[in-house]
Amino acid sequence: MEAFEGHQTFFITYDSARTRGLEHKYLLRNIGTNPLVMAQAFLSMLRILIKEKPKLIVSTGSEIAIPAFYIAKLFRIKTIFIESWTRVDRPTGTGKIVYFVSDVFLVQWEQMLSRYGKKARYEGAIL
Amino acid sequence: MIFVTVGMHTKAFDRLLKKMDEIAGTLGEEVVMQIGHTTFRPQNTKWFDFTDEAGIKEWCRKARVVVTQPAMSILDSQEQGTPVIVVPRLKKYNEVIDDHQLDFAKHLEREGKVIAVYDVDKLEEVLRKIDFKSVKLVRDKRLVNALNKHIELIDRG
Repeated sequence: MEAFEGHQTFFITYDSARTRGLEHKYLLRNIGTNPLVMAQAFLSMLRILIKEKPKLIVSTGSEIAIPAFYIAKLFRIKTIFIESWTRVDRPTGTGKIVYFVSDVFLVQWEQMLSRYGKKARYEGAIL
Repeated sequence: MIFVTVGMHTKAFDRLLKKMDEIAGTLGEEVVMQIGHTTFRPQNTKWFDFTDEAGIKEWCRKARVVVTQPAMSILDSQEQGTPVIVVPRLKKYNEVIDDHQLDFAKHLEREGKVIAVYDVDKLEEVLRKIDFKSVKLVRDKRLVNALNKHIELIDRG
């Protein structure tokens, strides 16, 4: 959260024991690879983004980023995707899908750069 | 005390939990486990399925060592200054969708950030003998700084 100091923030994430403690949040059902839940997530995301009108969406995945980033593209909301720190040189399915619509695309290992196009950048990792 | 945590992952990680439950009786040290999504019920350890962020951090703070998968749980432990042993979830046991945790563990180990154990049969020996002075996790500020820069650019633009 250090990176967002001085800005108003809210979370859209999956419902879990851990995320229930977040302050300003929208909790969705885990999507995984279920197409029906993905479709529901698109509708929820649309409602949330219309209501909140964020200027920027930052995501580290997972597939919940897919509806967020494609709707953001439609509404011209800026997006930053950060590929998972746990991925050294194997892109995530989500990363491959949102790469095309991300305004900024960061990876956390240098080895990952060759797996994506020119847009991808390595600017450090979380630890 | 040894704290074992398998996070919010939707798949079970019984290979780790069963081994820790098995050796808990002989280690002579208390073992507490956050077991997540699983039907396995430990016999020799204190356990719970999930707790909130503050709860996880409190267990990490109290522990001598945290045993977990190489994933975001590492951050909770690092924040509390507690050394970490990582055991990667493997695809062949249906613990995860691919073997990215295996690569990740190897890289973290090479950088001297964690102790990695690939074979759960080695856990007991590692827990008894390991010198945690050899590993050090420090926060890398570069990513936060990079994000600040991108956010500032977007805010202005």
